[in-house]
Amino acid sequence: MITLIYRGIIAIVMSFTVWNLYTEKKIALQANAAIVLIPLLLRLLMIK
Amino acid sequence: MSIELIIFLAMVVVFAGGCFLLKLPVSISMVLSSVVGALVGGQGIPLRHLVEGTFSYVDTILVIATAMIFMKVIQESGALDALSALIIEKFHKIPALLLCLIMLVIMFPGMITGSSTAAVLTAGSIMSPVLILMGVPMLETACIIAMGGILGMIAPPVNIPAMIIGGGIDIPYVGFEIPLAILTFPLAFLFVLMFGYKYAKKISYEEIAPKLNTEPREKFGFKVYIPIFAAIILMVVNKAVPQIPDLGMPLVFLISAVIGLFTGYKIDILKTCKEAINSVLPVLGILMGVGMFIQIMTLTGVRGLIVTSCISLPNLLLYVAMAISIPLFGAVSSYGAASVLGVPFLMAFLAKDQIITAAAISLIASLGDMMPPTALAGIFAAQVVGLKKYTDVLKRCIVPALILIAWAILIIVFSPQLAAILP
Repeated sequence: MITLIYRGIIAIVMSFTVWNLYTEKKIALQANAAIVLIPLLLRLLMIK
Repeated sequence: MSIELIIFLAMVVVFAGGCFLLKLPVSISMVLSSVVGALVGGQGIPLRHLVEGTFSYVDTILVIATAMIFMKVIQESGALDALSALIIEKFHKIPALLLCLIMLVIMFPGMITGSSTAAVLTAGSIMSPVLILMGVPMLETACIIAMGGILGMIAPPVNIPAMIIGGGIDIPYVGFEIPLAILTFPLAFLFVLMFGYKYAKKISYEEIAPKLNTEPREKFGFKVYIPIFAAIILMVVNKAVPQIPDLGMPLVFLISAVIGLFTGYKIDILKTCKEAINSVLPVLGILMGVGMFIQIMTLTGVRGLIVTSCISLPNLLLYVAMAISIPLFGAVSSYGAASVLGVPFLMAFLAKDQIITAAAISLIASLGDMMPPTALAGIFAAQVVGLKKYTDVLKRCIVPALILIAWAILIIVFSPQLAAILP
């Protein structure tokens, strides 16, 4: 149960990070958001 | 010159070049310096290690992100405005106490998120007009907010540098609350009085009262504070009643944020969450960069070089080296300083009480947030009050920084005696 909640929280944070990535104008800041997404995506999919 | 030193210098040069010459975000500069460090160390581009490094802080970024969502919700709902108006109304007759309470409000987001940026950007931005209204000049206001931010980041219950340092030698984050309170609150009260008392003692409540936002209190009454109480209760309930499972900080913040949607002004939750994540993305990116940076330092032997250099220093020099190197490394990141230098220094002080020493080292590491080029607390504090040059804030904070280092060293020296009298 707690794992599902944890993954849900990751999904929430990830979705807003993706939204910010798409609305961000500067490429450097888009890259910054992309770096943050890497571990979130891997943890959401329980790959790592 | 050893290969490890060459690798370290290459990483530092690329990092500084990325920040100062190319004006890249700190996180990107760190990724580049990590890649260059791996290349110089003959490791090619070790993708697995770079990704592995980001996982060092994955739980931390969840805490920061959800805490920021909570902070934005209570800001938008009117709870923070109500709290500051209440404090000023009740305590304006005792300016010293009022300043101390304002400092606590500034520290509060840092205390629950473990991020000085969260404190400066949320409570700092709310309390700065109040301090200026009280007659405190802009520069001193920025200094109060910056120091409040870094002390809030170290104050209990959440102290990420202490977690990082403790994690380095397998100390669980238990029993840190009282040492951290002893380390931070006296300094916070001293600094706010140092910067603000001579101006605030002439405070006129009649002049300030019309400018305070008392509407949330009048409109919603006590219920506007419920999300703050909910967060505090959910954080401590597991400690008071161990049968109740620990929910974890991210879930506590999200539950409290959801409560906050119904206790004050109506909030556009999607917009608020997007803004919250947007304001912490630079910090989250830095943490990912620090993770990669440290992973590559470990992979190439640079971390070993630093650890052995620290441990082999003579006893007296240890204190001097710690006082200089940890804040300087904070130019990369205060979390990075805690991880790379905090752990070896803690091992070097094995004769001292380890929990108190780890807490004191985390206090010194917090100064990294005042160290350019990152200087998160200084830069954001200057922005919040509308100062053009953040370097003035840093210069004005040199004396408090020295006091902070002296206090941390004093606590380390007397940690065995202190541990004997603490519960």
